[in-house]
Amino acid sequence: MKITWNWLGEYVDLAGLTPEKVATDLTNAGIPVEWMQPLSGQVKDVVIGKVLTVEAHPNADRLRVCKVDVAKGDPLTIVCGAKNVAPDQNVPVAIDGAILPGGKIKRSKLRGVESQGMICSAGELGLDARLLPKEQTQGIFVLPQDAPVGESIVSYLSLDDMVMELELTPNRSDCLSLRGVAYEVAALYGRSIHMPDAVVKESSLAEKLPLSVEIATEHCSLYTAQVVSNLKLSASPLWMQMRLLAVGTRPINNLVDITNYVMYEWGQPLHAFDYDAISEHKIVVRQAHTTETVMTLDGEVREVSSSAILIADPQKALGLAGVMGGRNSEVTEYTRAVVIESAVFDPVSTRQVARQLALRSEASLRFEKGIDEDITLQALARAAQLMETFAQGNIASNSIAKSTKIVEQRQVKQIAVFVKHIQSLLGYAISQSEMLEVCKRLGFTVRVVSDEEFHVFVPSRRQDITIEADMAEEFARLVGYDRIPVSVMRGQLTAGVLKPAQHLKRTLRNFLLDRGLHEVWTYSLTAPKVLANVLIDEGHPATKMGMLLNPLSEDRVGLRTIVLPSLLEVAAYNSNRGQKNIRIFEFATIFLPNQIPMLDQPVEAPHITGLLSGQVESVGPHGETRLFDFYDVSGIVHALLTTSGIAQDQISLVRSKEPYYQTGQCAEIYSKNVLIGSFGKIKTTVTECYDLQESFYFDLDFFMMQKLIKSDLTVRELPKTPGAERDLALVVDRDLPVQQVVDAVKNSAGHELENVSVFDVYTGDKVGADKKSVALHLVFRADDRTLTDQEILAKVETVLNVVKDEFGAYLRF
Amino acid sequence: MLERLQAMKDQALADLTNKDDIVALEAWRVMYLGKKGELSTALRSMGSLSQEERPVVGQVVNEIRAVLEQTFETKRSQVLQKAANEEERRNQLDITLPGRTPFLGAEHPLQKVIRRIEDIFLGFGFTIEEGPHVETDYFNFEALNLPKDHPARDMQDTFYIHSELLLRTHTSPMQARTLLARQPELPVRIIVPGRVYRRDDDDATHSHEFTQMEGLVVDHGISMSDLKGVLLTFAKELFGEHQQIRLRPSFFPFTEPSAEMDVRCIYCGGDGCSTCKHTGWIEILGCGMVHPHVLTMGGYHEEGITGFAFGMGMERIAMLLYGITDIRQFYMNDLRLLDQFTQIAR
Repeated sequence: MKITWNWLGEYVDLAGLTPEKVATDLTNAGIPVEWMQPLSGQVKDVVIGKVLTVEAHPNADRLRVCKVDVAKGDPLTIVCGAKNVAPDQNVPVAIDGAILPGGKIKRSKLRGVESQGMICSAGELGLDARLLPKEQTQGIFVLPQDAPVGESIVSYLSLDDMVMELELTPNRSDCLSLRGVAYEVAALYGRSIHMPDAVVKESSLAEKLPLSVEIATEHCSLYTAQVVSNLKLSASPLWMQMRLLAVGTRPINNLVDITNYVMYEWGQPLHAFDYDAISEHKIVVRQAHTTETVMTLDGEVREVSSSAILIADPQKALGLAGVMGGRNSEVTEYTRAVVIESAVFDPVSTRQVARQLALRSEASLRFEKGIDEDITLQALARAAQLMETFAQGNIASNSIAKSTKIVEQRQVKQIAVFVKHIQSLLGYAISQSEMLEVCKRLGFTVRVVSDEEFHVFVPSRRQDITIEADMAEEFARLVGYDRIPVSVMRGQLTAGVLKPAQHLKRTLRNFLLDRGLHEVWTYSLTAPKVLANVLIDEGHPATKMGMLLNPLSEDRVGLRTIVLPSLLEVAAYNSNRGQKNIRIFEFATIFLPNQIPMLDQPVEAPHITGLLSGQVESVGPHGETRLFDFYDVSGIVHALLTTSGIAQDQISLVRSKEPYYQTGQCAEIYSKNVLIGSFGKIKTTVTECYDLQESFYFDLDFFMMQKLIKSDLTVRELPKTPGAERDLALVVDRDLPVQQVVDAVKNSAGHELENVSVFDVYTGDKVGADKKSVALHLVFRADDRTLTDQEILAKVETVLNVVKDEFGAYLRF
Repeated sequence: MLERLQAMKDQALADLTNKDDIVALEAWRVMYLGKKGELSTALRSMGSLSQEERPVVGQVVNEIRAVLEQTFETKRSQVLQKAANEEERRNQLDITLPGRTPFLGAEHPLQKVIRRIEDIFLGFGFTIEEGPHVETDYFNFEALNLPKDHPARDMQDTFYIHSELLLRTHTSPMQARTLLARQPELPVRIIVPGRVYRRDDDDATHSHEFTQMEGLVVDHGISMSDLKGVLLTFAKELFGEHQQIRLRPSFFPFTEPSAEMDVRCIYCGGDGCSTCKHTGWIEILGCGMVHPHVLTMGGYHEEGITGFAFGMGMERIAMLLYGITDIRQFYMNDLRLLDQFTQIAR
């Protein structure tokens, strides 16, 4: 919403105030002034001149030589290039030394003829040419005949005005008018409001023009109208055009401009219908029929739904109520009489229709936020009065006001305010008298009940105020938010601690950071097409994706079901920028719909995922480094599980069948038959697509991990007896998983086996092509004595027999 | 005899001075102090001495042995020390060569900011709640005093799944969810960090996904001055001890009164610069007193129970703290940017 300083000054006394001060104070009171700038750039020494003669330029076909009277000394000789210059015109003349937004004007010779100034176009004066009618932007700015020759153009066009853009919050629709802002300024400085007289005048014509109104919908609470006849269509007065221009509305003609002007003045959108276009001189306000069409003022044929409110006559639709008028009843040069409409339409309906048709007009903007019904009739009267003055019209009918509300519904809102409530809500000892003073400044009447309580009667222009807390805000913002002190919150102590899952997340994040992985954040929104990049086909659970109803781009149409493509994209982005060593992880949420299409909230599963590619450590002068491999990612995953309190013996590994992993180098992690994640090497066909080297991925389901974590510990007593260590090199089939050998050893060596670990695996000539040698380190210990060699030998013997039976294993010598 | 011994001692000491390696030293020791060395020989020859001379000569021999042994030990440790020094000098390393530095991982800047703010509010006795990204219309809007077709819904363009299911546009739904889950328990003191979604085209200052932190306190007699107190302490903790805050009236459907909070510009300290548009203040968050409708819908009906709430954008704060100028960088994850975050202490 834009306003101008001079325009505002018509309704509230601004004496002693500056635009800067008012802008600051409005902002601090919750009406933010987004910016403020002069209506035009600097303009100096530009006066109104009368063109006396126009002659051809002796040396240039396109230039004319004009004599222009500026009511000071001899007429000036001015060379002008505009086609539209003509004798007897009043025009803005920049005299020698004048300053325009585009620069300084000096007398100079143009193709041999001295020009003593310049005749200006509207654009050259700094006016917003986009909003001006064509005839005023193509060539010089022709002023009305009554423009006083010799007067400064700055004062004549009020160019020395300030435009302010208000960034209104949605609740303050009352400030979508000069009147509303004037009330706000009045409240800030304790001043009074003086709106123009707007008393309804009835027709004094002997032969009144007939008009009737019928409201046939519950979505129009008030409809007022009046006929004005004998109108002379012309341009509106220049001051009105200038004001409309300043607030961003294109001047059109006196009738349309007046309806717009009154809308800005009062906040009540108005419409003028061509009286003769209304059949039977009867206006019907009704819901649209299904599949009804209306051609709106902009020439578009619009199909409306039955939720739209139409202004119609008994035969046809005349316009979309509150949104835009119809082409068939538009004011034209043939219009002799108009019906001015000033009405209140249902905010929700207006909003819905405007949204459906993507047609947000200045009118709909105001209707959808609620109209002050108290001034609907006044706005009508004001428009009629301005049409009398500036279009030579006659009020040709009595005013009509139809309302569907019963009188009780329009009672003034009354809010009970308790002094203590306000004080305790604000934490500030504002007194009752201060509160009453604020009400007075706001123009709210009050009834004091006691020292503790009073009632506020809220005028209908402030529809945002409905409860006591709203009044608390009024008091706070008008005494100033800075008056509210700072206090320490009291109450029962609460422990500010992380929940176990939050704590675990921090632990795991630190673990991964300490391993040199960078944390990344990627978007949840993605598209099914990326699944193909990681070889996921139809039928894979990840293809069950929750889709958006109204996506904004084709790359972000649904919620991701797998994190891998996002990490590959990050890796590719970096790889393309020369970063070949990728160590990244993300704590990401994936979205698993309960059904397709998604009807209710999906399972939102937090996953811990990571991608490793490139060198294991930084390249330095200390010898060769190596590239990440399967056992690096395996090691990270196992350590991560250990640090979560998930013991190695709680989990088992199974080869993964996910399509994006390289067969034979990937694993799924199970605990008690529950899948908690997977890790492995990404297929090279996938990584090559992303222009990546060998890459290793892990993906852990944080929910599942949480179910397994252990946070308590009772330490084992440290051993008091010496342990006995034995190494065994067992030759087994090459394909046999080592874990099975380890398990067999654990199960057969007896409870005095303290630990068994794998310290080498050898394949090669010395063991045969289909064999491997697995070197195990065993530690035996008894709590109460030192084990004898014979005892240990017996245990090892048992182990050897078992692995021989189970796997055909034998000792390597 | 005594003269001979004295001469031998002088000779031995003189010999010792130029022995500077361990082998020569050992040879010297054998020559003078060994079982067949000069002193032992002298002792053995004592048999030929008279009864009177023996103790005298014996004492002198022992004195000489003591002196020689002590001098030898001193010399030996000097030689050993010198050899050790030389050994160390030979093994001297170029200390400026790069070490075997482990890779450092960087916490994501948004996570860093979240963690810092979480820690501040944990210290105030708040707990952390997290809520669903896919939210119902009811919790995202209606329970926050934003009925259907309320004009204020325009403040946030929404991604819908269907008419009643959407991607949350703010973390505020967790206000409503937490109240319903906890009522009638008091006090409620929570923060809610999380990802939110708006139907905005991505550019330097807009992202269709971004991160908010919500705060909510509900208790008996919570006041706007309490809100100011908590926010002032928070601002000082995050932006520096000398920070000041300023509240300006604003509007959110779920708070009344509502405010925007500014802090002193962290670049110019309040003198005015291009970042703060020469106002000296920077807007950080929106806040206010919990709207009575929200409390009622959340199951808190009793008079005198009030609360405050606030919400802030993590990207905005991270951009201010770290001088990041394009919001998309948070989701690009350029390692050259992230690497820089390994180099700060908190």
